[in-house]
Amino acid sequence: MTVLRYLRLLGVQLRASTVLGMQYRVDFVLDGIIEVFWAITSIVPLFVVYSARASVAGWSFGESLLVVGWFTLLGGVLEGAISPSLFNVVEHIRKGTLDFVLLKPADAQFLVCTARLQPWRAVNVATAVAIFVYAFRSLGHGPSWLGIAMSLALLAASTAVLFSLGILTVSAAFYVVRIDNLMHLFISIFDAARWPSSVFRGALRFVFTFVIPLALMTTYPAQALLGKLPLSTFVFSLLGALIFVGISRAVWLHSIGKYTSASS
Amino acid sequence: MISVRGLQKRYRVHKRAPGLKAAALSLFQRQYTEVAAVDGVSFEIEAGERVGFLGPNGAGKTTTLKILSGLLHPSAGKVSVDGHEPRRRENAFLEKIMLVLGQKQQLLWDLPPSETFELNRAIYRVPRAQYERTLDELVELLEIRDLVGRPTRQLSLGERMKCELACALVHHPKVLFLDEPTIGLDVSMQMTMRRFIKNYNERYGATLILTSHYMDDVAALCPRVIVIDKGRISFDGKLEDLVRRVRPDKRVVLRLGGPVDIHALKSIGAVIRHAEGEAVLQVKPGDVSRSVAHALSVLPVRDLTVEDAPLEEVMRELFEQNRAASAGSEPSA
Amino acid sequence: MSVRSTVHALPTLLRVGFAGAVAYRAEMFVWALATTMPLIMLALWLAVAREAPMGRLGKPELIAYFLATFVVRQLTASWVCWNINSEVRDGTLAMRLLRPVHPLVAYAAENIAAIPVRGLVSLPIAIAALLLVGTGPLTRDPALWIVWAISMLGAWLVTLFTNFAIGCLSLFLESSIKLMDVWFSLFLVFSGYLIPIELFPPGMRAVGDWLPFRYQMGLPVELMTGAHDRAAAFALLGRQWLVVAVLGGVVAFVWRRGLGRFAAYGG
Repeated sequence: MTVLRYLRLLGVQLRASTVLGMQYRVDFVLDGIIEVFWAITSIVPLFVVYSARASVAGWSFGESLLVVGWFTLLGGVLEGAISPSLFNVVEHIRKGTLDFVLLKPADAQFLVCTARLQPWRAVNVATAVAIFVYAFRSLGHGPSWLGIAMSLALLAASTAVLFSLGILTVSAAFYVVRIDNLMHLFISIFDAARWPSSVFRGALRFVFTFVIPLALMTTYPAQALLGKLPLSTFVFSLLGALIFVGISRAVWLHSIGKYTSASS
Repeated sequence: MISVRGLQKRYRVHKRAPGLKAAALSLFQRQYTEVAAVDGVSFEIEAGERVGFLGPNGAGKTTTLKILSGLLHPSAGKVSVDGHEPRRRENAFLEKIMLVLGQKQQLLWDLPPSETFELNRAIYRVPRAQYERTLDELVELLEIRDLVGRPTRQLSLGERMKCELACALVHHPKVLFLDEPTIGLDVSMQMTMRRFIKNYNERYGATLILTSHYMDDVAALCPRVIVIDKGRISFDGKLEDLVRRVRPDKRVVLRLGGPVDIHALKSIGAVIRHAEGEAVLQVKPGDVSRSVAHALSVLPVRDLTVEDAPLEEVMRELFEQNRAASAGSEPSA
Repeated sequence: MSVRSTVHALPTLLRVGFAGAVAYRAEMFVWALATTMPLIMLALWLAVAREAPMGRLGKPELIAYFLATFVVRQLTASWVCWNINSEVRDGTLAMRLLRPVHPLVAYAAENIAAIPVRGLVSLPIAIAALLLVGTGPLTRDPALWIVWAISMLGAWLVTLFTNFAIGCLSLFLESSIKLMDVWFSLFLVFSGYLIPIELFPPGMRAVGDWLPFRYQMGLPVELMTGAHDRAAAFALLGRQWLVVAVLGGVVAFVWRRGLGRFAAYGG
């Protein structure tokens, strides 16, 4: 019963978000253009680097491009679902209207995560696929069906982890009121996901694999598409994602408990 | 219906002196002080009652309302609303209540109010038929039919508050908390809101708690008032009893037909105001009939009314008394 | 809005700006941390240089380059575009216009006031860099250091002006944040933020020389890491200040037009 109810609510939120999006039509077009620019900025360094080298940290040009592709795809999820919702929360806290969210007889985390969806960001998917196609052409072969399936499962897990990280970041807003910067920090750190994780060494590599699992989000799906992802890593990644979701849920609930209103 | 016992809410607040040095120091070390927003509050409210919370700014009224609606967890004490513990924020509880915050809207800013109504309908699980009926009624009574289709940001404050009120009532809450709902509104809008709220309470037996700085709101809507000052209750009872206790003296307002000697006025009561053609005198309640009779016999009275002291003055008096009482017993914060 | 009243107001503006920057200490720390791009790029380029140096740049040079980038970014960055956009949206821009100080000066003051704080944060990075690679990759010519100092001021101005100009566009469009995003992505590519300017392929180099981005970031970094001799340095400095002058003109123009638009719409 409740799953159905939340699905229906999701539908309502999507509708409201789309209506909202319709109000700012120019943004549609601009977002698309900006996407292209960001994709270019991701790829230009690779072109420069690989013009002088055949392989970097064990990854060839085509292989690195797959990572960039996943980075673009997840970037779309981040921009289209996660950051707008979380910025929305921060604004609520600032204006003191988070109270209204908490008053509603529905899970606050759900309401907050689905408040400002931008479904038109699916354009990113198209860009990512274009990058994948180019990468595979450069590699000379295509992905296996198993590879695609595994990478899609990892996509779902990555989305869950990104949402969880976002929730963790936003929970900080309950303690430190102005956290616009934390959101930017979060997005900046995500930038490290544009390289295969083997580029990083030592402590940083550990952090990016286990603490902020960027490796999970872009490197592993790329490896899955290449058929190079060990099964144990795959399973552990999915489990890790579940644990992340659990932790962020606990932190969110704890933060709500500590919440003090912005004004009197 | 609503039961509050020994409620307390304490906050830690960061304090800092002004100046460059203090600013730099605060980078490394912070001073905190504890503030009790609510300090031992107890009361009971029956279903269908209309109660006003009165008190100066920072008294703890809004904090109490937020605790009652489950938005804040109390530091200590027991709270129960219609059998639910607000802090647990059960869905069943949340579907029965609503909080209206003056000058803050739950209406989505860039979209028309009708979209927020729809959203709330889905969230509160209001059956479509009932929703249509309720909405129709609300829109009619509040006269917002032309407004609900326009983006919220294009509406004036008064229009927004009316839509906000409609939005709050879409799901027919049994308990309504109103925090300064008429702040910033013009007089006629205030009266519309008051009339509407009273009507809602009488028709549906909803329990109402209202906080306001406008005494007219309280006088018009709330037969019972609870006065909160510095987080404690200093009065709980009928409004008229409050007036009688704090400023029991009555006012005799005279419209005079001709010039009057000030001594004549003084013989009737203390002179509050004396201007061309009118005078206001303060008289002890027991002396009212004697003073009135005397005034009518010796003065050229065109019109005469006997009133209670204005509520504002009563409140000011009450807070002065409280301040004097606490100044003697506590060091200042 | 006279020069006199502005000068009088400056100390207070600076002091308040400083207090503001300090009041949110966690936020300030976080902002500095959010400048991760140079470090992420460093990781990539180090991986590239693991086998052999790229051109002139081996490990120590790359570390010096990107850590210099970090420091330059901390000291010259500006967020005025976001400020203006949100003030136009809230309507609080009107408040700014009421004050007898030109908004650009007010924003500049806020920015300057925050520099000591941001400098403090970049100090550990700078020290770490020096410890890691020594002063080897840094230039030794004192004249070049003077040129560097001037170029830092120029870089700061370019960043401030572009932020302000694009921010003002929000008086014409609903929001100019997206435009700033596009600008920023171009900045990433052409300023030397992502790729050391020396390593630009010839085509990119040609384009980059004529865009203002290089003068926002790349130039100071290049001067610090000794990429140019004196003659080239002076020439580039001259070009930078030409860019500053042009942008100053753009700012004046856009502001006047924007103000007219603002007044017409009643804010």
